[in-house]
Amino acid sequence: MNDRLAHLLVRLYPRPWRERYGAELEALLQSGHGGVRTSANLIWSALHEHVFPTPGLRIEQSQFQSWCVRAPWAMFGLAPLLLLAAAYFVACFILWSGWNIFLPGTNTPFVPIDGLANLYFQVGRLIYFSAPILIGWAIGLVAGRQRLKAAWPAVGWIPIALIGGTAQVRANRTEVLSGVGHIRMGFALGPSVHGIPDGLFHALVILSLTVLPYLIWRLQKTRSVSP
Amino acid sequence: MRSTRNVVAAKYDPEIGHYSDPPLLVLASLASGPKHGHAMIEDIAGICGTRLGPGTLYGAIARLEQQGWIEPLPAEERRQPYRITAEGARILRAKLTTLRQFTKAGLRRLEALCI
Repeated sequence: MNDRLAHLLVRLYPRPWRERYGAELEALLQSGHGGVRTSANLIWSALHEHVFPTPGLRIEQSQFQSWCVRAPWAMFGLAPLLLLAAAYFVACFILWSGWNIFLPGTNTPFVPIDGLANLYFQVGRLIYFSAPILIGWAIGLVAGRQRLKAAWPAVGWIPIALIGGTAQVRANRTEVLSGVGHIRMGFALGPSVHGIPDGLFHALVILSLTVLPYLIWRLQKTRSVSP
Repeated sequence: MRSTRNVVAAKYDPEIGHYSDPPLLVLASLASGPKHGHAMIEDIAGICGTRLGPGTLYGAIARLEQQGWIEPLPAEERRQPYRITAEGARILRAKLTTLRQFTKAGLRRLEALCI
């Protein structure tokens, strides 16, 4: 394998792991055949090492950990909200730009379409609907790795689920004189189905989906520790 | 160095697949003597047809070393040989014994099936 590529791929590993095994892995890569398969194997293994670090080779006191300890409200309260806001902004921008590019003559972008236009809008939809769940999983992952009590991740999960469940996007071209089109986001519980408001039901679904992997992980940990 | 590429190709049956338990394969490879990474990959390919990727191999080496089941020897130029420890040999024996019992039981049941 090319020396530079080998060095780059080894750099993907966490620093404690790299300090111990980096040189010998790099030597192995430089002496052997490269290729897409080898590169993919290394990328996957490095990612695995970040998520499930080898015991004894964890980052002892990183900047990230110190943030979790010093300002958990920022890590679990503020950062997820900012991330969600960024994801919604991207989703709305895709909706707005797609509306202007593919549907310039319509008063709303919510009309049946197909082909490339449909694909473009589906990317926005995917970001919009998956963002609360992905952010929720990230909260659980960080809390799990830092061995924090469930209270701190809950600070992030609950508002994220409520926002994700109640968020609504409205688009109207006639409201703006220039005719460019106007997209607004609002939050509403919506109509009730069987006594439960629609938005609350969606929030509960998001909460369940995000909390479940964390709970399963905690349960497994408890079982593996107990004799 | 002897290449096992052809051996692997001859033994590989896509319907059956390869046996793949990287830590066990590394322990089994080191049971025949100390080896460095490249030699382990070749040896494992010769034993069971599984060609471990370098990332998978070093993932297994790191975990086995942290568990105390293998240990590094003095480096040879840039290559780092490893050897199995007494604890590693005990674990390997226990795992292989379990596998042998499982294999025996499975084969007995297959013989009784008479298809």
